[in-house]
Amino acid sequence: MTFEIDPEAPAQIVRREFLRQLSAAGAAALMAGTPRLLNASEPGSVKHPQASADSCILLWMAGGMAAPDTFDPKRYLPFKQGLKVADMLSTFPAIPTAVDGLQICEGLEGIASVMDRATLIRSAVQPDLGSILHSRHQYHWHTGYVPPQTVATPHLGSWMARVAGPRNPVMPAFINIGQRLEGVGESEELKAFTTAGFFGSEFGPLNLPYPEEAARSVRPPQGMTGQRFVNRNKLYRRLIDKSPQRELMSDYQQESMLRSMDKAYRLLSSQERDAFDITLEPEAKRQKYDTGRFGRGCLLARRLVESGARFVEVTTEYVPFLHWDTHAEGHTTVDRMHKEIDAPITQLILDLEERGLLDRTLVIIASEFSRDALMEGQPGSNAKDQAREKVDEVSEMKHYGLHRHFTGGTSVVMFGGGMKRGFVYGKTAEERPLMAIENPVSIENLHATIMTAMGISPQTGFDIEGRPFYVTKDAKGEAVQELFA
Amino acid sequence: MISRYIIPVVIVLLIDVTSFVLASPVDFAHEVVPILKKHCAGCHGGREAKGSFSLNTRKLWLESGFVDPQKPEASYVLELVQSRDPEMQMPPRDKPRLSAKEVATLKQWISADLPWEAGYSFGIVAYEPPLKPRRPDLPLAEDCRNHPIDRLIDRYLSQHELPRPAPIDDATFLRRVHLDLVGLLPTPEELKAFLADCSVDKRTLKIRELLADDTAYADHWLSFFNDLLRNDYSGTGFITGGRKQVSGWLYESLLYNKPFDQLTQELIAPPSKDSRGFIDGIKWRGNVSAGQTVEIQFAQSLGQAFLGINLKCASCHDSFIDRWTLEESYGLAAIYAERDLEIHRCDKPIGKTAQASWLFPELGKIDASASREIRLQRLADLMTHPDNGRFTRTIVNRLWHRLLGRGIVHPLDAMQTRPWDEDLLDYLAVSLRDQKYNLKQILELIATSEAYQSQVEVVEGAESSDYLYRGPRARRLTAEQFLDGVWQMTGAAPDKFDAPIFRTKVEQAEVPELELHARWIWGDSAKETPPPDETIVVRRMIDLSAGVKWGGAVLTCDNSHVLYINGQEVDRGQNLAQIRKLSLHKFLKPGINEITAVIQNGGTKPNPAGFLFEARIELENGQQYWIASNESWEWNPDVPAERKGRLGRISENWKPVTIVKPADKWTEIVDDQVRERLAEVATGKQPMIRASLLKNTPLMKSLGRPMREQIVSMRPSQLTTLEAIDLSNEASLAEAFTEGAKRLIEHSDGDPQRLTEYLFLYALSRPPTPEESDLVSQLLGDSPQPADVEDLLWSVCMLPEFFLIR
Repeated sequence: MTFEIDPEAPAQIVRREFLRQLSAAGAAALMAGTPRLLNASEPGSVKHPQASADSCILLWMAGGMAAPDTFDPKRYLPFKQGLKVADMLSTFPAIPTAVDGLQICEGLEGIASVMDRATLIRSAVQPDLGSILHSRHQYHWHTGYVPPQTVATPHLGSWMARVAGPRNPVMPAFINIGQRLEGVGESEELKAFTTAGFFGSEFGPLNLPYPEEAARSVRPPQGMTGQRFVNRNKLYRRLIDKSPQRELMSDYQQESMLRSMDKAYRLLSSQERDAFDITLEPEAKRQKYDTGRFGRGCLLARRLVESGARFVEVTTEYVPFLHWDTHAEGHTTVDRMHKEIDAPITQLILDLEERGLLDRTLVIIASEFSRDALMEGQPGSNAKDQAREKVDEVSEMKHYGLHRHFTGGTSVVMFGGGMKRGFVYGKTAEERPLMAIENPVSIENLHATIMTAMGISPQTGFDIEGRPFYVTKDAKGEAVQELFA
Repeated sequence: MISRYIIPVVIVLLIDVTSFVLASPVDFAHEVVPILKKHCAGCHGGREAKGSFSLNTRKLWLESGFVDPQKPEASYVLELVQSRDPEMQMPPRDKPRLSAKEVATLKQWISADLPWEAGYSFGIVAYEPPLKPRRPDLPLAEDCRNHPIDRLIDRYLSQHELPRPAPIDDATFLRRVHLDLVGLLPTPEELKAFLADCSVDKRTLKIRELLADDTAYADHWLSFFNDLLRNDYSGTGFITGGRKQVSGWLYESLLYNKPFDQLTQELIAPPSKDSRGFIDGIKWRGNVSAGQTVEIQFAQSLGQAFLGINLKCASCHDSFIDRWTLEESYGLAAIYAERDLEIHRCDKPIGKTAQASWLFPELGKIDASASREIRLQRLADLMTHPDNGRFTRTIVNRLWHRLLGRGIVHPLDAMQTRPWDEDLLDYLAVSLRDQKYNLKQILELIATSEAYQSQVEVVEGAESSDYLYRGPRARRLTAEQFLDGVWQMTGAAPDKFDAPIFRTKVEQAEVPELELHARWIWGDSAKETPPPDETIVVRRMIDLSAGVKWGGAVLTCDNSHVLYINGQEVDRGQNLAQIRKLSLHKFLKPGINEITAVIQNGGTKPNPAGFLFEARIELENGQQYWIASNESWEWNPDVPAERKGRLGRISENWKPVTIVKPADKWTEIVDDQVRERLAEVATGKQPMIRASLLKNTPLMKSLGRPMREQIVSMRPSQLTTLEAIDLSNEASLAEAFTEGAKRLIEHSDGDPQRLTEYLFLYALSRPPTPEESDLVSQLLGDSPQPADVEDLLWSVCMLPEFFLIR
């Protein structure tokens, strides 16, 4: 796929030959104390794998999606008074999918119908961190490192932005949809990993908490017409041309500043910015996605990927005790979550396929850990039980659900992007504890798999403060080769 | 596209091969080193340590577990180099294998217990910086350039046959020095007055004037220290009580220009909880890897902030990049530790407990058996020891970087690097000691030099490793400088701030005029003499009709108090003579507020007891109030159980308080202090609210203000695309420009020429050129419209000339 710069957009402000710009950018990066790629002295010593995906969409089930109530159904017992919590494994019955012999939970009929395009990992595992703090586990999942860390760790989207770069020069490489970072619980902890860390903000996320308002972030300021925006930029460029400091234009700092201003202007006045406006989608199609903020986020993600985004995360949003974070009312809440995610995820897969993009787009459904009706953490954990209602027997509907955080085995679904289709990898025990008992996949190896698909070696490292820092912890992540088609 | 920066890794042999004589059958230098260099060092030598294996030193070999001199044939490294498994083999499959002869040599070497040449390392040659201070001889002045810095720099430039950068004009000087010393733009009025001033020493006087503006200085340098001490008003850790700010203490230290040695001592061995936050670090709930415990954080923060030593490597294993070892990191950590600290290498215990010790025992030792308090105090003394040149060099280098754009040692946190001029660094460092650690004196020393007052170097190409000083470097405005500058011109600064600090330095003359309303209060027992250890609760409900713009309280108690506002603990005091002061605006809300204190008497027999509280607040609607302990307060004998930071439930058993006649010692110790402290909190005169006093915002974050979970001593120098997007359309900024446009029109009575001139003078410290005037007058016409002025204002603020300090 190629991209054209909007013919309306003006030529670049800095009219210098391309190579000069490159070298200036390199110099600038060095002076900023920014990290340098390791092994640069030996070209080829880190070999990037052949990419099987150009874009990645991470559908984040924030708060701990219970695998037994979604993609890994176990023994189902319907709600009844007197039901022993210890007997409860799944609160939804299993349903068939498009793959023979593969079952997932009732409520996900749409996704079931497209599971023949999916690789389902049922044995993803997380370490026990001694205490459950969602944001800390999410930090680990998103960066590959457990906080605190001595350097600011980049989000996996920033790794892609930094190493693979933008697919379309106008389109920000890392876009983060649906998570508010102000005014919600643990927001400071969420901000700590929603960042490019030591790579610097060039590689950081464009945050779009409300998909329906995304268009605003790439539009001229409120109240400014398109024509005025163009005129403002013309004025700006003339002032630069007339500046008595013209002779300092060769200065690297000045040059990089002008280049960034130019790129921003190009996005804000380009056709790509329409990708951010979901109201431009035909009404019928929009309806199919519109189950709520997450559904609209999926639609936005599809539009952005079509326009050349590299990495897009869409979250059901983490808010303590809401959504997937079911400390009580688990069954009722998950039923609602099914309704929120099923249609848009299904539609996203079908749309990408229809547009011929699914083969080169890796779509991942994941969560920081699973849940269980009885077990907090995993066997042997010191984690404190945080369930709201601690009962042995179910007497009311609010007791019916998986209310503990479980880190011993969870499900990750991957569509497209070079992964096998209709494939199941790993499994969990049939009886509690529902540990991954076959082919456990650590966060390091999961990241290695994702990075490999994106054409990034899991051993890619940068020298920061004189120390090596790798995309997978200590460069030890290994891609799960069996997952690749 | 994958970018690659080509940097040659230099591996230098430190041995003198000609003098190498060894009776051993294996010749390390001639046989082993070439094999390792050819096959292994690319990934495991120098700075590289793939798979956490570094072959730099013999010790690292032995610790790696890859060799077994007892059973050489069982050594893992031999298995790797002989393996046929493509996944396992070393070197990796795309590289040539070791020959059989080379394998045999390695095996022989391991069998012989790894003979090594003393001092040899595959690592980069380490420059070991001097520890002691050194007073360099100043060279003779050239061309009457007498300033000590210029005498040193002029010699440096002659030695390197480099031209002297040209001096800057007054306007450039004024803009630069303003932004550097107090972080603000000079106003057009100030600029005109400065240009019109004919006195020869006007630059020096201006430097002194700016440094004497205590509030502006503190507002500006607060960001520098917040970055250095990773202090902020919001961020990770606060949620679980795992982190404490030092903001109030820090701001006051800057406001009163506390000497840097004292400031450091108070951080390392905190005299009160107000400066504890730095050594306590950030505690995350749950298990933390051995390299990230609060004790190790202490070692890392201390090393980085005050010594420019990166102990992050050495917190996990002996450093590959400098001389610091795992044991030294743990030794430093153990000074802080209250538990036995088991040394972990790469997260695995090595069966050894850390002994409290510090990095430069030549200056003095730490008694590991002493109490923690004494260990910390000793460390504070050693750190600020007059002979600790590393300490003074580290901070003066940071100041030089702030004012001239690049460190004398660079990067700033790698103080083991050779400075480009040792004499200059050493001179600044001893000057700091000579000046009794007065940072303002060093800033003055630097800013008054011709070197500082000269033109910036235009940097075109890639920076080579052999940097030469050719003049100051341009610096981009920080997030805070940019916003402050925009707010200065637009009047759009917010009207309240988040930092729990007081911005006013009290002049003694103002103090006596303050009227005190507070009276000493206690419960019924004060009608006689209160019993020892009596604990009661006092409270006052207040109803506020609007939010609080600013507010502060002073309080004290005989003997101790815990103060709660709306159920949340906000202050604690145990010493009558130490008057507590407290910033109120973040705790009070519109509507009913409950101010409650749990107060306790001391002693062993009945003795006087009393509590004193006085506050001044201003609401957002402009109303000003005082709140003071008096007969309107109530007391309650039922003391709630203590719950972490929250006030427990209290019975409804409230009665009016007793006004206590002040004991003599109260009046003596307390009255003047209360008045003085109250004067600090009670002023409504606010200079413009500065960005440094606000919580981090998405806009500031994108403009490069760090999150302060880690120490950041150098902000990004480049403007990124995401920042540019924010600059182009971020809502609060766009509003500021809209507001600013109206203000500019008003200010110039709608006269386009005056408007343009004023804007250029303010933003760029120069009038517009005729060409620029023409351009702008075409845009504005005869009567400027707000939208056009807004676009002009935006365009000027986006010019590199505005964004860079030159």
